[in-house]
Amino acid sequence: MSSADITSDLPEGHAIPRQWIVTAGRIALAVALLAAWEWGARAFGPLFFAPPLATAQRIVEMAGNGKLLTDTIATLRVSALGFVIGCAAGVALPFLLRLSPRATAAIEPFILASMGIPKYALTPWLILWFGIGDAPKVVVVTLFVFYIVLITVFAGVRGVDQRLINMARIIGASERTIARKVIWISLLPFFFTGLKVALPRAVSAAIVGEFLVAVEGIGFSIERARQLSDTTGVFAGIVVAVTLVLIINAAVNALERHALRWRPTDRDMQL
Amino acid sequence: MRGRVWLDRLIVLLILLAVWQGGSAVLGAYWLSSPWAVASRFVTSLLGGELIFHASYTINEAVIGAVIGGLPAVLLPFLLRRQPIVVAILDPFMVGGYGAPKLAFAPLFILWFGIGIESKIALVAAVVFFIVYFSTLSGVRALEPKLVQMAQVIGANERQVGRHIVFPGAVPAIFAGFRIALPYAIGGAVIAELISSNRGLGYLVQTGAMNFDTTQVFVAILAATIIVHGFIAVVDVGERFLLRWRPRGAALIVDHGT
Amino acid sequence: MTGTQMLQIKNLGKRFPARAGREPPPWIIQDMSFSVGAGELLTIVGPSGAGKSTLLNIIAQIDVASAGEIVFDGERIAGAEQKTLHPGLNRRIGYVTQDDNLLPWRTTIDNVLFPLEVQGALDDAGRTRAQELIGAVGLTGFERYYPHELSGGMRKRAALIRTLVYDPPMILMDEPFAAVDAQTRTQLQEDLLRLWSLKRKTIIFVTHDITEAIALGDRALVLTQRPAHIAAEHPIPIPRPRAVKDIFTMPGFTAIYEHIRADVQ
Repeated sequence: MSSADITSDLPEGHAIPRQWIVTAGRIALAVALLAAWEWGARAFGPLFFAPPLATAQRIVEMAGNGKLLTDTIATLRVSALGFVIGCAAGVALPFLLRLSPRATAAIEPFILASMGIPKYALTPWLILWFGIGDAPKVVVVTLFVFYIVLITVFAGVRGVDQRLINMARIIGASERTIARKVIWISLLPFFFTGLKVALPRAVSAAIVGEFLVAVEGIGFSIERARQLSDTTGVFAGIVVAVTLVLIINAAVNALERHALRWRPTDRDMQL
Repeated sequence: MRGRVWLDRLIVLLILLAVWQGGSAVLGAYWLSSPWAVASRFVTSLLGGELIFHASYTINEAVIGAVIGGLPAVLLPFLLRRQPIVVAILDPFMVGGYGAPKLAFAPLFILWFGIGIESKIALVAAVVFFIVYFSTLSGVRALEPKLVQMAQVIGANERQVGRHIVFPGAVPAIFAGFRIALPYAIGGAVIAELISSNRGLGYLVQTGAMNFDTTQVFVAILAATIIVHGFIAVVDVGERFLLRWRPRGAALIVDHGT
Repeated sequence: MTGTQMLQIKNLGKRFPARAGREPPPWIIQDMSFSVGAGELLTIVGPSGAGKSTLLNIIAQIDVASAGEIVFDGERIAGAEQKTLHPGLNRRIGYVTQDDNLLPWRTTIDNVLFPLEVQGALDDAGRTRAQELIGAVGLTGFERYYPHELSGGMRKRAALIRTLVYDPPMILMDEPFAAVDAQTRTQLQEDLLRLWSLKRKTIIFVTHDITEAIALGDRALVLTQRPAHIAAEHPIPIPRPRAVKDIFTMPGFTAIYEHIRADVQ
């Protein structure tokens, strides 16, 4: 039997010191993580833990001799190709399906079922077909991007206000015009959300794909280092991989924020 | 009308199977194993126990990893509910962890834990943790403050508020988190097995490919797909039962994450 | 009016939260004083935004006063320098809010039993009491329903008996019947009066509906606009038991109605 003791908080001048505490806390946590990393290297030995300094040196080395650049380009090459194809297919399919609700209903369960296939597991079979070049990875990246874009665009197409479409038909617009002027604009926000998710995913899928098949690339260098028990190489590669994906994440978010400034909002489209 | 949809779907299925079978005949079993071959190998493999042996290995990795990663991910938002400063401090690290490709750590975990089950479990745990953390966090945050006030006026202490108000309110979000995370868990287990393992469905895929035994590859992939859908079904059933107090909402297609 | 003073509000004041570097914030409630007798049903009428909810929040101990004091049952429970709050004042003050705030994941009976569960008083006597209350408001048969399966009026009833089940001596009610249609509201008012006649608790009932204030109250207080204080006090001599449906025809109704309406302007 007790009652909660609450002090009603008055948001007086507490706002500013609070931000300082949070920032200071974050810096402290980052330092603590670095210290733990260093401690791990000393406690577990260089086979399991490359020290932060050695990792940084290796990265600088990789940057210096051009390997960092070539690896990054190789990975991004695969990601970009897969991204483009996946986007095109992921956008095209809902628009095609739109033309026949009957076909959509018929195909839908198969699309859902296929989403459960672990895409990386297709890689060995793809290697059988295409050899150890870029192709298997591009296919896998395409699949990842395809499903992400498909789901978001599909939701967008379905969510388009039927009244808008009816009105357009009454006015005499052709299906193509409706698709372009009404539906496409309405689903732009969905599409951008899909891209935002798909682009970093494409890069990370390329990196992981390189664990299984590659002659170059960031993922390749990580896995190669592991096979050679080159722990520093593994750590360095992972830092590069994580940084790359996080940078792309941030860039995409910033792009979205910028794009949102001039884009007409959905509200303008409502009748 | 409803019957026609199912007839259509049956037709599509038959077309797909026919194309598959035809493609296999034309290209040869080396490139594309036929549906019949896959089906019969699936059955023999299942009855012989081999498929279950490897599948249970993969399932174990996914489930144990999901528990190890999921439990702290569920607890943390509750424990930190009254510490918004701590949550704010952690936020960029959590967001970074969520955005970073956890699967990129697979080689590191294999380096650390060997090619046994531990490395796969560690990878799955890492993947599941961040997904479930953010889901649970949003569920805890979406809490109705008026419900908390009501409970306090009735005389509930902090622990009772957590147990009777915060937790039940967050359960839908926790379920959503796991539903999203479980397919990623299986995917993570499989990829780790593909890189380096001596057991599991990913191992079957890898060895099948190395022996040019496409049928085995397809059987393993089929098994994994069935498992993913099975997990989702289990979570859905559990959710429908535990959440029968909810008014009906719209169901959307969920990203299966593999 | 009845005997002892259950609640005394003395020069109560509440201002908006202060903002750093700005002028002192305006008062929501200023210099408000009134008392409530034990077993009295007091209604408070006032325009929206006048601070009625704030007043109840302070009495219920979920908000702190900026000035003045509150004495409950002879004990000083609120004042300006108060450091800690005791919501519900150890279960002696119940609070029925505008949103029914039923827990959506609990059935009706579990919602009604919730206070007993929290207070560790979930025994046979408690369960019997809960069942009686369910019967008293006509919810028999709906014990296992979830809130989303109940109508608005049924949810209000459930919220009401949830507060009654643990028997607090004083109950605050913040426009509890505002969100239902007129017919349901009349029914709910009758239910309230019937339950109240069985066990005379002290009730403070806030509303913007003058008719409701007259139909229910022994006395009606009129609040001014912000900064709110008591503009007028009107005893309501209409005898009980009152037939809420026919309140308009009761002697004296029109006169009081006109008086209150004039004061509310």
